[in-house]
Amino acid sequence: MATDTTWVGRTLLGAVGLVIFFGLWQLIGHYKLAGLSWPPLTSVIDMLTDASRRPLFGRAVSATLSSTGMGYLSGACLGLVLAWSTHLLPPMRRGGDRLAAVLNSVPSIALGPIFLLLLSRDAAPAAVASVHVFFIVYVSVTSGLASASTAHQDLFSVFGAGRFARFRRLEMPSALPALASGLRLSWPAALIGAIIGEWFGAPRGLGILIINAMQNFQIVLLWCAVFLAVIASLTFYGLLTGLERGIYGRFR
Amino acid sequence: MRTGRRLIQDYWGILLILVAWQAWVIVNQFNPIVMPTPISVFDALITDPVLFLENTGITFAVALVGMTGGMIIGTSLAVATWLSPLLSGLVSPLAVLFSSVPVVALIPIIARLLGYNVSTEIAIVVIITFFPSFVFASSGLRALPPGSDDLFRVLGASRRATLFRLALPAAMPNLAIALRLAAAHAILAAMIAEFLMGTSGLGYLFAKTNDEFQTEQAFGTSIVATAISVAAFLLASFVERRVRSHFS
Repeated sequence: MATDTTWVGRTLLGAVGLVIFFGLWQLIGHYKLAGLSWPPLTSVIDMLTDASRRPLFGRAVSATLSSTGMGYLSGACLGLVLAWSTHLLPPMRRGGDRLAAVLNSVPSIALGPIFLLLLSRDAAPAAVASVHVFFIVYVSVTSGLASASTAHQDLFSVFGAGRFARFRRLEMPSALPALASGLRLSWPAALIGAIIGEWFGAPRGLGILIINAMQNFQIVLLWCAVFLAVIASLTFYGLLTGLERGIYGRFR
Repeated sequence: MRTGRRLIQDYWGILLILVAWQAWVIVNQFNPIVMPTPISVFDALITDPVLFLENTGITFAVALVGMTGGMIIGTSLAVATWLSPLLSGLVSPLAVLFSSVPVVALIPIIARLLGYNVSTEIAIVVIITFFPSFVFASSGLRALPPGSDDLFRVLGASRRATLFRLALPAAMPNLAIALRLAAAHAILAAMIAEFLMGTSGLGYLFAKTNDEFQTEQAFGTSIVATAISVAAFLLASFVERRVRSHFS
């Protein structure tokens, strides 16, 4: 019962916090406390719900989501395969770690032009996204594969399990929770990658909308585009958190 | 011979990329304006080191100042929420919300709000490094060794004493993780800000050379940026290990 009331209290407090946040946003915008670049929340919502703008926003969101999704899937597969291979071939491990760390440190604005050349205008956002995802998935899967308990490892040794059986029946399942966390954390990273990739001349997308609105002083449009990017991030982040909880419940 | 093997074992991935890059440019006979070879990029780096050093210094300074600010603000807010359950209840859903927001997408808004100058770049780095330090500091302040909290209460320690002698030391390993995450982010965020606003630093140098088709310099800039962000990451990992062995 006590936990129930604290839960209700926390939810109420949290809701109050959100209301204060959005209220402040509205007030600052309404009284122009932060200058002309801070529109009130209501005018952002007005533009977002304006029917004549809907095709523009729809095209941008679907373009960005599809590049993010493609980059997310390909990056996750690459990270998973490299983590599995370096786990099965221990001499490759250190080199794999270094490669992942260096790839993650290449500034994404530098990746844009490279992928533009290597692939095409349409594929560059997905490629930048996949590099971001690759690193997070690689790091979480390698640490997950190493997390199998020593008692289980000993059990497998006693029964004379081979390297591959151990991998398939013990290490792969014990890496699943870490993989799920990695997948959750990489969604916002993938979205950032796709948006940055779009800055280098993608035909459409939220990144293009953001950069054009910024350069042309279309302040409300800029806030709308960023707002949509935030919603796209939060929605999938929420879904992936659910997936993660499910996997944690089953495998841990 | 043995150092050679070590080198290949540790850096096979990076060597593979460099060799593939060189071969790919030679096979396709690319014009150096479109795609330079790694060797010519290296050449460009050593012919004008002052240009790169100068801009690296600027970017590094922006990242360092911003990161210090972000970590101080993040930790202070975490301490404030630790001291006040009311504030903690108000802020925690916002913190969850913001930790999953693509912060880079906010850079154009911040640039518009604060103007196109160096202090805006610092502000952007502050905001980007604020989130990890707040999240990790708040969880660290609450991850106390079992029983220690009771001990402090039984001995009648004040809230202040508990904070400085128990909770903050207990949060140190977590803060070190936040530092490691923030270090690499700080430099990349500073670069993106410089790239968008075109003021100074490596991001600006990259935008300028890329626009002027000085592709070798542009690639050189990205290689320098990669190197300093790897260095920052390694330095922060070293600090993290030291802190971890000292505090736990």
